Amino acid sequence: MKVLGKLLVADIKQFFRERSALFWTFAFPIFFILIFGAVFSGGNNVTFNVGLAVEDNSPAAQQLSGVLQQVPAFKLYTGNQSAELQALKSGDRRAVIIIPSGFGQTVLQRGNATVDVYYDPTQSSSAQVLLPIITQILERFGQPAPLINVNPVTLQTHEIRAIDYLTPGILAMAIMQLGIFAAMPLVVQRENRLLKRLGATPLRRSTMILSTVVFRLLIAIGQAALIIIVARLVFHVPMLGNWFFLAGMVILGGLTFLAMGFMMSAFAKTQESAMPLLMIVQFPMMFLSGIFFPTEMMPGFMHPIMDAMPLTYLADSIRQIMVQSSALHSHLINVGVLVGWFIACLIVAVRFFKWE
Amino acid sequence: MSAVIEVEKLRKSYGEIKAVNDISFTVAQGEIFGMLGPNGAGKTTTMEIVEGLRPADSGSVSVLGMDIKQRPRRIKGSIGVQLQTTSLYPRLKVHEVLDLFGSFFHSALPYDELIKLVDLEDSRNKLCINLSGGQQQRLSIALALVNDPQILFLDEPTSGLDPQARHNIWDLIKFERGKGKTIFLTTHYMEEAERLCDRVAIIDHGEIISTDRPDRLISQYFKEEAIEFQLDRPLSDEALRQLAGATNVVTENGGVTVYSNSVPVTISALMEMAKQKDMKLTDLYVRRATLEDVFLKLTGRRIRD
Repeated sequence: MKVLGKLLVADIKQFFRERSALFWTFAFPIFFILIFGAVFSGGNNVTFNVGLAVEDNSPAAQQLSGVLQQVPAFKLYTGNQSAELQALKSGDRRAVIIIPSGFGQTVLQRGNATVDVYYDPTQSSSAQVLLPIITQILERFGQPAPLINVNPVTLQTHEIRAIDYLTPGILAMAIMQLGIFAAMPLVVQRENRLLKRLGATPLRRSTMILSTVVFRLLIAIGQAALIIIVARLVFHVPMLGNWFFLAGMVILGGLTFLAMGFMMSAFAKTQESAMPLLMIVQFPMMFLSGIFFPTEMMPGFMHPIMDAMPLTYLADSIRQIMVQSSALHSHLINVGVLVGWFIACLIVAVRFFKWE
Repeated sequence: MSAVIEVEKLRKSYGEIKAVNDISFTVAQGEIFGMLGPNGAGKTTTMEIVEGLRPADSGSVSVLGMDIKQRPRRIKGSIGVQLQTTSLYPRLKVHEVLDLFGSFFHSALPYDELIKLVDLEDSRNKLCINLSGGQQQRLSIALALVNDPQILFLDEPTSGLDPQARHNIWDLIKFERGKGKTIFLTTHYMEEAERLCDRVAIIDHGEIISTDRPDRLISQYFKEEAIEFQLDRPLSDEALRQLAGATNVVTENGGVTVYSNSVPVTISALMEMAKQKDMKLTDLYVRRATLEDVFLKLTGRRIRD
C-alpha cells in the first residue's frame, strides 16, 4: 500500500512536470468544446427535415399540424402521403408524420387516434432524437386536456442542442485518448529500461500496473469533471443524470481503453512506431463513433465498423446520462460491449506484452 | 573466503546465437569481480541471468546460497543492480527517485546519506533529466545501493565517462568493497579491469577464456614486455621476428608491437636493422604487457574493435 502510494505520487509529479502531456490531457478537450460551442452557438440548434401529410380535414388535424409547425427542432414539409414517403426514401426527410383520414372523428369520440410516423431505423439519430420528440408531442396532444389550447411552447420536448450532443462525446473521446495514450509511457519506460530496472527490485509487477491504472483513472475523473464544469459554465450544458452512474461509466470506459492502450504497447517496439499505431486506432474512433457527426451521416457500409467500436457505446451511455438523449442502445448493451472489449484487450495484452 | 555467487554450466541462446555458452564461475565474498570482454561477448546476458532478470536455458545460478529460480524476490531484496540505462524517471528530482526506490525494499538507507555518498549534494533537487552523464551514472549507482545490498552488480559502470568521472566511480566502488560488499561488474575497459578488479574473467563469444587476478593473467601469458613503434614503410612480420629476443609480432595500421623477453637486446637489434634498411622509426616506446595483450593473444582480436 505504501509502495502503491509512492508510485502514484511519482506518476502524478512526473505528469504535472511535463507540460505537453498536461496540455493534451486537459486543454485539448476543452478547446474542442469551446470551438464547437462557439460554432454552434446563437441558437443554431439541430433541425430535422420532417414531412407531414394531412389526410384529414378535421379541426383536430389542423390543430395538430399547427403544433408540429411550431416545434423548433423541425423543418416541416407538407405534402401528400406518397410524395412525402418518397422523399423519406430518397433521404430528404428524416421522418414523415401521417395524420390519417378519420383522425378528427376518432379524437372527437375520445378514441385512440393513430398517427403513423415513418422513419428509417438504420438512421440512428432519427430513432435517437426525433422519435421521442414526436411521441411526446403526440402524447401531449392526445391527452384529454383542452385540445384547442395546446401550446407547443409548453411542450416538454427536451431540446438537445448541438453542444449538448457534443459535450458527452468529447468527454468519451478524452477518456479514450487517455487510455490509449497510456501505451506511450509504457513503451518509453521499456525503451529506457525502467521496466527492467524495476524488475531487478522486489517490487511486484502487479503493484506497478495497479499504480498506472489508478493514476490514469484519477486523471480520467479529473478530466471528466473539468469538461463538465467548463461545458456547464460556458454553454449551460446540463448534467441531468446520476453522478455515480456517470462516474461508473467514466471508470469502465477508462479501464476498457487502458486495456486497449496496454495491448498496443505490446505491439509497438519503439516510441516512433507507437505513435502511428495509436493514431491509426484513435482517429477512426474519433470520427466514426458519432461524437462529432451523428452516425447516420455515414454511408451504410460503414455502420458495421461503427457498431464495432467501443467508443460508440461509451459515448452513447454518457450522452444518455448527461443530456438524456434517446438511446442508440440500452445501457446494458453498452456496458456489455465495453466489458467485452476490456476482456479481449486484456487477454491480448497479457499474452503479448514484453517487459523488455 | 566463501562464494556468494556460484554459476554452473550456464547456457543461453537467442535463436542461432549462443549468447552464453557453458559458463561457470564463482565470486567470493568481499571481492571485486570483473567480466572483461568486447561488446556482444555475453557479459550483460550473464549478469542479467545472475540478477534474475532473464531465465537461462540451462545451468544453475546460486546467489547468497539461494537458487535464483526459486527465491528471486528474496535475492532481489539483498542485491543492488545498476543497468546500462539513461535517466529512469526524467521528471523526478534526485532525492525523489532515491526515496521511491527505497520504498520497494524492506529497509532502505536514508536518501541524504546516499546522495552524500555519491557526491550529488549540489544536485539533490535537480530533475534527473538535467543531470550530466557522470551524475546520472552516480545516481544509478546510488539507486543500486539504496537497500544497502550485500552484492552490487554494475554493468559497464564507467561506460562513456571522462577520465575524471571514471576515477571518481572507481573510488566509490573501492569504498564500497572496503565496507565488505561484494562487487560484480562488467567492463570493456582493460584499464578498469586491471586497476579495479581483484579477479577478472576474460569472456569472448559467450565463453570464459581465462579467470584470475589481473597481474597473474598477464604474467601467465606474458613473460615479455611490449615494444611499440611506427615504421615509414611496411616490413614483413617475418623479418621482425628474426630480431634478437623477439617472441611475437603484431602489425596493425602501420603500428608494430614486438613482444620481447629482453628489451635492450631487441631494441639495439631493431636500431641496427633500421639503419641497414634506411628506415625511419618513430613513436618508439616500451611498456609492460596488459590485459589487452592477453586478450589479443587469446582471441586474436582487440577488445575494442
